[in-house]
Order: sequence, then structure tokens, then C-alpha cells
Amino acid sequence: MLARVAENLYWLGRYLERADNQARLIDVQRLLGSEFATNSEGLEFVLDTLEADESFAEARASQPELTAAQYLIHSTESRHSIRSTVTLARTLALELREHTSREVFEAINRLYLSMQTSSTRSIGETMERTRNSVATVLGLFENTVIQSEGAHWMRIGILLERADMTSRIVDAKYFMSLPEGEMVGGPVDRHQWRGVLRSASALEAYHKSYLGSIRVDRAIDLLFLSPLFPRSLVYCIDSMRNEFLQATAETPPARALVSSTELAVIQLDLKAQSGAQIVSAGLHEFIDRFQATLIRIHEALTENLFKGSPTQTTDSPPELSRIESLQSS
Amino acid sequence: MPILDGYSTSTGLDEMFDNGVLRPQYKCVASHLSQIDAKGFLDLQANADLETMSNGITFTVYSDSAGTERIFPFSLVPRIIEAAEWSLIESGLRQRIKTLNMFLEDIYNDAKCVADNVIPADLTLGNTAYQHQMKDFRPPLGCYTHVAGIDLIRAEDGRFRVLEDNLRTPSGVSYVIENRRTMRSIVPEMFPDSEIEIVDDYAEFLLDNLIAVRPENVTTDEVKIVVLTPGHFNSAYFEHSFLSRHMGVDLVEGRDLVVEDGILYMRSTTGLERVHVVYRRVDDDYLDPLVFKKDSLLGVPGIMDAYRKGNVTICNAPGTGVADDKSVYRFVPDLIRYYLSEEPVIENIPSYIGRIDEDLQFMLDNIRDLVVKPVDGSGGYGVLIGPQATAGQISARRKDISLKPEKWIAQPLQNFSTIPTFDGAKLEPRRSDLRAFVLTGQDSWCMPGGLTRVAPDQKSYIVNSSQGGGSKDTWVLKDYSRNGHVPNAKSTGGN
Repeated sequence: MLARVAENLYWLGRYLERADNQARLIDVQRLLGSEFATNSEGLEFVLDTLEADESFAEARASQPELTAAQYLIHSTESRHSIRSTVTLARTLALELREHTSREVFEAINRLYLSMQTSSTRSIGETMERTRNSVATVLGLFENTVIQSEGAHWMRIGILLERADMTSRIVDAKYFMSLPEGEMVGGPVDRHQWRGVLRSASALEAYHKSYLGSIRVDRAIDLLFLSPLFPRSLVYCIDSMRNEFLQATAETPPARALVSSTELAVIQLDLKAQSGAQIVSAGLHEFIDRFQATLIRIHEALTENLFKGSPTQTTDSPPELSRIESLQSS
Repeated sequence: MPILDGYSTSTGLDEMFDNGVLRPQYKCVASHLSQIDAKGFLDLQANADLETMSNGITFTVYSDSAGTERIFPFSLVPRIIEAAEWSLIESGLRQRIKTLNMFLEDIYNDAKCVADNVIPADLTLGNTAYQHQMKDFRPPLGCYTHVAGIDLIRAEDGRFRVLEDNLRTPSGVSYVIENRRTMRSIVPEMFPDSEIEIVDDYAEFLLDNLIAVRPENVTTDEVKIVVLTPGHFNSAYFEHSFLSRHMGVDLVEGRDLVVEDGILYMRSTTGLERVHVVYRRVDDDYLDPLVFKKDSLLGVPGIMDAYRKGNVTICNAPGTGVADDKSVYRFVPDLIRYYLSEEPVIENIPSYIGRIDEDLQFMLDNIRDLVVKPVDGSGGYGVLIGPQATAGQISARRKDISLKPEKWIAQPLQNFSTIPTFDGAKLEPRRSDLRAFVLTGQDSWCMPGGLTRVAPDQKSYIVNSSQGGGSKDTWVLKDYSRNGHVPNAKSTGGN
């Protein structure tokens, strides 16, 4: 399919998934954070997760009345706001009309239009509507769009963004400080982990999987390594690899090589670990490495598959022959 | 109070009422309207607008920097054309398109019409829209105008006339299909028991025609077709996307295409994929920077080379602009007589062109009674309506005409027909035209009906969407005598 369209579908998936995560994060943390009220209305965790803390501080320097909620939800100046994410998704959806379905476009467009009017709706309602809209779009995408190559690219976008977000949510907890006198594994720490799990829609899944109070190694087992939980890193990477193989079924091997190698390596890497090992070896370092891999996958997709450049189409492009000779030697 | 009460047609000829008496084909519509008051109609209108907005059927107004996206206002009272009248229009359209194609083939080859003094050389070979690249080149099936939009109005005598030909990249067909869909959804009761001609198979006919004009050595199984758009910022992007979706072909931009060794390719995830037919919705100037607009960053370098080598078909052909030029328009009736030895089925509006001395004199003498248009304009920009203009506007335009007579044409102001259109409180008569769409490959096919456009208010004579007017659904009643079809009862559904 058209390389530009594949890339746009990939980004549409990413933006939709991002909007959903932003809304869930804000909703969960707003309620949770109010228990240890700070000057950011309990949204510090969200700012950290989205790496928006510095830009928020800058924006606030010029507009002292700006609240974190405004910045993260309705601001048109902030690229971290849900509204900006939804606008990006909708711009792509307009461009992609003929590659989705009427139902999908209309659902995205309605979400976009509803974000244009700053109404009297509560934050909770707005977040719920955003999440429901994204769920509707993704459901309609499965039910009303032909499941050809483009559908795989869109799901690769969703899965990559989801893996990135899950890892970010856990990473933000790593930087969350405990009040003085509180111990790791103590009530506040457990409370924070509960918030992390809820932010990843994983609290119920945790209780179904493990008896007893929340332990960090088990939370990591679930959030990173569970092959059954749809937001875990392993689940996302497994599914992504699967989608990738289908999306590139017709693609000359040279174009798909780098992305597929990265995916295979990270898949094996994740499966060789346990939550306890990851925690003892350094949670933050693990996440850094994981995110670096996601970036490499993204770059390989962009460079090798979404550019559709003519030099890679001749029967034996220089890169391919070089790789083949390396492999045979 | 029902919104149809007090509807006055004092402005002249009306589509729905004949001197105050309801025309029979509008019975069903009128009986529905007689039950609705302004509030009820506003609700219906709001539902229709909401549907249009959420469908993203929007267009861009270039001159308006803030209002980048608007819906094309939609009016729920349709235009209805009886079968016999439509069949006459259809034959007139076919005749016209056939002639214009022959004219294009002629001027790009032997230019017999110029040699025979049917039309002056500076309007044809010297026309700015004349593409020398097309000289001595015969496009597949000799077809230049694959998609044409012919604007018609119903004149005071009740007969349709051609107002203007659009042979470059005419738009609006997607609104026809969407308007029908909106009508079916919002006011299903308005539809008559008898059937009306369907419009939503347009894309199928378009696809068939694009396949028919593929390069000779390409089979129907392997033919790869794309729609070429300037991009999603273009005012008609919705339509480009709509058509590619309904044909099931890729919608590409210039940057998605590349020419290597005279072959056109599309950049795909698997590499380069060969393209055989391009339905382009970009102007000639932005087609190929190697040939046309040299400083353009848009376009596909080398595509004209691939076209001339017969490796790809471009629809419409480059250089069709000569045939829809407003000065050439004046000669179309003569061209019909010249090429087909027939009288025009649909007549022109009398036109005066500045480059002919006696026409120019008439223009300057009668400017107060004339509509003066730039020859190369479109979208209703730069049009002066003599009877409505101020003395200052008249003298300014006189000066413009004297400076560059060849840039102007004039026509007597046409008091063309009105259709009831809702103004927010009641129905008022608004002038409307009809853009008919004709597809040509091996033969020509006319979409039944077309896009009815209405003026933005009761006084206006300009119906272009860029001037803020709206559109209506257009129904062509089915001719049962013609195809021996029995009318369906309403319970079994219409189209």
C-alpha cells in the first residue's frame, strides 16, 4: 500500500492510544493525587509520565493562572494536551478517510468537535467521553474497516504507543518520592503502586492474578511480562511482531529487516526475565533500555518502510547484497 | 404557520410553482412541507447540518483565513426534473461533450476548425490554456474530457441553457451523492411513491471509464488507477477522498508518485508500484514541474514524458482548458454545427466577447444591462452584475474592459429560475443553477440530475459555493414508458 498512508495509519493508531492513556492517567491521578494535594492538583504524576513537567512550568511562568488540568486537557498551545492529540488524530483521519470507514471517521470527528467547545462538563465526564470515544473508534475499526495491510500498520501504532505508555507509567512511579518516614513496601508505597496499576487499567487484572496486597515484583510481572494482560510490554511486543509479520508479508526482506530484528530481539529479551530480576537489576535502567528499543523500532519503520524510496526497489539494492554477503560469510 | 404559506414567485420563473400553481412533480414535496412550521423545519435543518458536519463534508473558503472549514449549506427542498425533460437535457449534454472532444482533438492536431474560420486562432492555438505538450498526441480512445461539469440554468422561457462548461477538474459530484443520502435520512416522507433515478453509482461509472482509457498494452486485471489530489488542505479534498474511497483506488499526492525511465510509480510499503491511470484533481500547472510550472514544488517530475510515451493515462487530459474558456464558449454552438452538422439541443446564453470589435462596442454601450465576467475566472469571482452595480463600479469596469478587451466577456442578465429555499423563517425564491456531470470513455454517460446550487439570498444571481450559496438534492423522475419498468409501491422501497 501507499507508504505515506501506512505511516499515517501508524500515527493515527499512536495518537488514538495516546489520547486514551492521557485521559485515563488524568482521571486516575486526579482522584488519587487529591489525597496528597500538591500545587499541581494531583497531576504531577501525569506531567512526569508525559514528560510535560518542564514545559508546564514554562507555560505557567507566562500564565500564572494556568492549571495543570487546563494544560493537560484543553490547551491548544500544549502539545501534551488531550485536545492537541485528538486534533492530530483527526487531521490524519481526514487525510485517511478512504482508508478507514465512514463510521470510524465520524467517531473521531465527533470527539474532535466535542473538544473544541470548552463546556461546563466536569473533568471526569470529559475523560470518560474521551476514553469511550477512543474505545468506540478502535471497536469500529475492527468491525467496519477492511482488515488488510493498513489495519496492521494502525495496530502496530497502537501497540507501540501502549507499550511506551505502560513503561512510562511505571517509570514515573520510580521518580515518585515517598513522604518522610514512609518505607518502600509500606502503606503509601502500596497506595502509589495501586495508582500505577489503575493508571494502566491493571488493578483488577492484578487482583485476579495474585492474592494479597500489592508487591512491586508482582506488579512488574503483570505490567511488563504477562503474556495475557493486554497492556503489558510482552503482550504488546508479541502482538506487534505478529502484526508486523502480516503487514510485511509481501515486503522485500531488505526493507523489513531492521524492524523485524529489533522486534525479535526485544521479544526474546523480555521473555528471559522475571519481575524480581528486573527490580533488583534496576527498574529505571530496564525501562530506559526498553524505550530506546522502541525508538529504534520506530526509526526503522520510518526509514525503511514508510519512505518508499525508489533506491530500495531494484532487484538487488546495494544494502541487500551487502546484508546477504554478511549472512553467507 | 406552514412554511410554504405566502411563498411568492414574483421574482419570475419558479421551479416548483407555475404562476402560483403547484407543478405536479412537486406534489409529494409540497404536501410534506404544508405540514411543517418554521420551528419544525429548523429542527430538520439542524439534523441535516449535524449529519453533514459529523460526516466531515466540509469545504475551504480561500478568501477567509479564519473560517477554514465550513459545511456547504444544504437546503431540504429538492429540484425535481421530469423524465422527458431530462432525456432532452441528456442528449444535449452528450452532443456538447462530443463536440468539445472533437474540438480538442482538432486543435491539438490539424486545427481544421481554425483553417475553416469557425473560430479565431488566437482563441485556440494562442490560448493561454493551450498546452503545446499535447500537440500531435492522441490520448487513449481520443478522449480528453473524461469528467465534465456543465452548468445549466433554466431561462425565463422555461428552457435550459448552458451557462458554462467545466472541463478541467470540475468538482461537486460528491455533494450530489451525499445530499441524496441526507434527504433519505432526514425527510424520507418527502420522496414520491414513484422511483427517482439513483445517483450513487457515479463512482462505478467513473471507474469503468478510467479502466476503459488505460494504456493499450495494459489488461483490465493489472490496471492500477489512482486519484491525484493536491492534498488535504485543498477545498475539494473531501471529494477527492470520497471518490477514491468509492472506487477503491489509492488517493495519492504528487510526493507519492515518481517517474523512472518513463514509467510512473507509486511509493508503497513494498517498494515502487506501477501506476497506469491517473484521475488527477490538480491543475495542469501543477502536474509536472519539468514541463509546466517550472518553479513548482508540487507535481510529479516526468509524468508528461510517461504520458506521451503512452505508459500512463492522465484524466482529464492536459490542455482541456482551451475548450471551457469563456470566450470559446461563444463559439460552441458553431462548433456543434461544424463537427456534427446538428443544431445545438441546449442553447447557449448570448455572449459578447471583448476581442471582437462589434461585441466590445455592444458591451461598453449596454454594460448596465449586462453581466460582465473575466474570461479566465471561476468561482464567481470578479463578476459584475450591471443592473445591480453602482455607477462607480460600472465606470471602473468600463475602464478595465477598454484596457484589456480580450480579458472580458458579457452576457445579458438572465432572470433564471428560482426554487423555494428556507431562509430561517420561511421559504423564499432563490435562483439556482444545475451542474450536470458527464463521464466519457468509450461513450458518454450523464449522471441523472446533478448538483443544484442556490444563491445565498433572494436578490443574488451568483450561485457558486465559494460565494456562500448552498446546494439541493436533484431528482430526475424515472421514465417508465422508456424502460417498461413498473413503479414500485413505497413499501418495497425506491432507490
